[in-house]
Amino acid sequence: MMPMEIVRLENVSKIYTMDKVQVPVLHGISLEIYKGEFVSVMGPSGSGKSTIMNLIGCLDRPTRGEVYLDGKNVSKLSEDKLAEMRRKKIGFVFQQFNLIPRLNALENVELPMWFAGVVKAKRTSRAGELLRAVGLEHRLKHKPTELSGGERQRVAIARALANNPEIILADEPTGNLDMKSGEEIINLLQKLNAEGRTVLIVTHELEYARRAQRMIKLRDGLIEGIEVGK
Amino acid sequence: MIDYALLSLKSLSHRKFRTFLTLLGVIIGIAAVVSMISIGTGMKVSLEEQLEVLGTDKLIVSTPQVLGGRTKELTDADADAIDGVMGVSLVSSLYSVSTNVKFRGEEKTGTVWGLDPEKAEKTFAGTSGYDLLEGRWIGKGDKNKITVGYGIHDDFFEREVSVGNALYIKEHPFQVVGIFKQTGDRDSDYAIYADIDQLRQLMGKEKEITIVIVRIKEGSNIEQVAMRIEDVLEKRLGEKNFVVLTPKQIVEQVGETFKIIQIVFGGIAAVSLAVGGIGIANTMVMNVLERTVEIGIMKSVGASREHILRIFLFESGMIGAVGGSIGVLFGYAISKAINIAASKYLGQGILYTTVTPEMALSALAFAFVVGIISGIYPAYKASELDPVEALRRGA
Repeated sequence: MMPMEIVRLENVSKIYTMDKVQVPVLHGISLEIYKGEFVSVMGPSGSGKSTIMNLIGCLDRPTRGEVYLDGKNVSKLSEDKLAEMRRKKIGFVFQQFNLIPRLNALENVELPMWFAGVVKAKRTSRAGELLRAVGLEHRLKHKPTELSGGERQRVAIARALANNPEIILADEPTGNLDMKSGEEIINLLQKLNAEGRTVLIVTHELEYARRAQRMIKLRDGLIEGIEVGK
Repeated sequence: MIDYALLSLKSLSHRKFRTFLTLLGVIIGIAAVVSMISIGTGMKVSLEEQLEVLGTDKLIVSTPQVLGGRTKELTDADADAIDGVMGVSLVSSLYSVSTNVKFRGEEKTGTVWGLDPEKAEKTFAGTSGYDLLEGRWIGKGDKNKITVGYGIHDDFFEREVSVGNALYIKEHPFQVVGIFKQTGDRDSDYAIYADIDQLRQLMGKEKEITIVIVRIKEGSNIEQVAMRIEDVLEKRLGEKNFVVLTPKQIVEQVGETFKIIQIVFGGIAAVSLAVGGIGIANTMVMNVLERTVEIGIMKSVGASREHILRIFLFESGMIGAVGGSIGVLFGYAISKAINIAASKYLGQGILYTTVTPEMALSALAFAFVVGIISGIYPAYKASELDPVEALRRGA
C-alpha cells in the first residue's frame, strides 16, 4: 500500500528581511513526510530547522516554492486561513513550553479548543482526559510556574493534542529539560506516533534524532542528507 | 462571552495596580461628566417645577427689565385692557418692590409683592406651591396684613417670624397672618405678600404694575390669546415695550440657557473622560507589548486575528464598563453633595442637581464605548502581530 503523503515541500525558499537586510534561510528545499511517520530534523543553529517547522506549521509562508499540508497548498493562504489550518491540523510543542502563565494546566489545554469553538463542558472534560493521558491528573489546577520543566512540557503536549491534529511539530522539546525529563518527553512523543500520529521533531540530540524513522540533516538552508533509522 | 470575560479578568487582575490606575482615570472622567450634567439637568427640573407652580393655563405680561429698573411700567389701565381680550378669564396684577423691612430692630432689604388677594387666590387656585404652613392668606381689603414665604419665617431675620408678629415695611407696621409652606423656589420662599393698593400707596406708585398674570379661559388656545394680548398692548403703548410669556416660551428660552450650561459643563467633564480614554489606550498598548509572546502562543495554537482582536477589545471595554459603573456611583454621590452644600451655603433652590436613570445608563454606555474605542488601536496592533516574530521575542 502506498504511504499517504501528509506534508510536501516543493522547492521552498525563505528569505527574512531584518532591518532592510535580506537574510536567506532556506534555499529551495523539497521534502515529503508521510502519514504516521516519525521524522527528526537535525542541523547546526541557523541551518533553517525552525523555519521548516514554522512553514509546515502554517505560522509562516514561503518566499518561493509550495507547501502542501494534507493535500492542500498552504503557501499563499490568508492569515485567517492559516490560523484555521493551525487550529485543525497542527499541534505545536516548543522548547520554551510557551504556556500562558496566568492560566492553569487545564485552561492552557482548553485554549486551542476555545479558539475552535468547542463548548465549555466538552473542553474541560477533554482537557482533563489529555492531562490524565500525559500523567498530570494531579496537576490540573496548577499554574505553569508551579510545575517542573518536564511537567510543563507534558502540559504543552496535551495542549498540542487538544484539537486532535494530524501532525505534532516539536521544536527542540527537550532543549530546556534534564536528561530524565527529556527521555520521558521523547517516549511520550514516540507513544503518540505509535498511536498513529505523524510526529516531526527538531533536536540537537543525536540519540533522540536516531529514534525517528527518518532523520533529515540540514546545513545552510539545504538538505544535506536523509538517514533512515531502525 | 463568559470565556472572554474570564480571560480579561485574569489579565486585568494580573496587573492590579496598573488596572487600578487606569480605572481611576475612567472613574474620575465619568464621575465628572455625571455630576456636571446633573447640575444642568437639576436646573431644568427645578424650572419645570416652578412652571408647575404657575400652571399651564397662565400667561405672564411684564415690561423688560433693564439695568437699574424697568423702562416703562404697566398700569392698571393696561391690566383692564388685557382683561377685555377674548379668551382671558382672569387678570391678576402684581406690584413688586424691593424695600426696607424691619423686624425687632433688625433691618433688611426684602422683596414685597402687592396683590389683589381675591384675584390672586382665584388665579392660583388648583396650582401647587401656595399651601399654607400656618395662618391664612391675606383677605380682600385686609389692610396692614401680610402673608410671608417660609424663608421669611425661618431664617431671613436673626429671629424667627411667627404669625401675629409685626414687620415694618418702609416704617409702616404689618401683621403676619399666614406663612406658606416651603416651595424650594427661592423667589417664592423669601417673598412677602401684601395688599396691592396699600403697598402702592405706601410706595407712592398708585397705578403701577410689575407683572400681570393672566389666566385664560378653559378651551382657549394659549398661544393665540398671547398674540391677541400683544396686539392690544402694542396699540395702547404705541411700541412693543413689553413681553408676553407663555409657559412654552419660558421653557424654550430658559431651556436653551440650560442646554448651553449642560454643554459647557459636560464638555469640560468630557475632557477628563477623554484623558481617561487615553489612559485606557496607554494601558492596552502596554498590555499588548507585554503579552507579545502570549499573542504568539495563542496564534500558534489556532487563534485568528479576530480572536485576538476580541480578547483585547473585551479587556478595554471591561475597563470602561467597570470604571463607568464606579464613576456613575461617584458622580451620583458628588451630585448629592453639591445639593447639600448648595442648599446650605447658597440657600434653597439656587443650585440644584439631578441624576436621572437615563443619564446614569448613558454615562455607563458612554464609558464602555470609550473603553472599546481606546482599545481599537492596541487590539488591532495585537491582532496583526506576526506569530513567528511574536514568539521569537520571548526566546
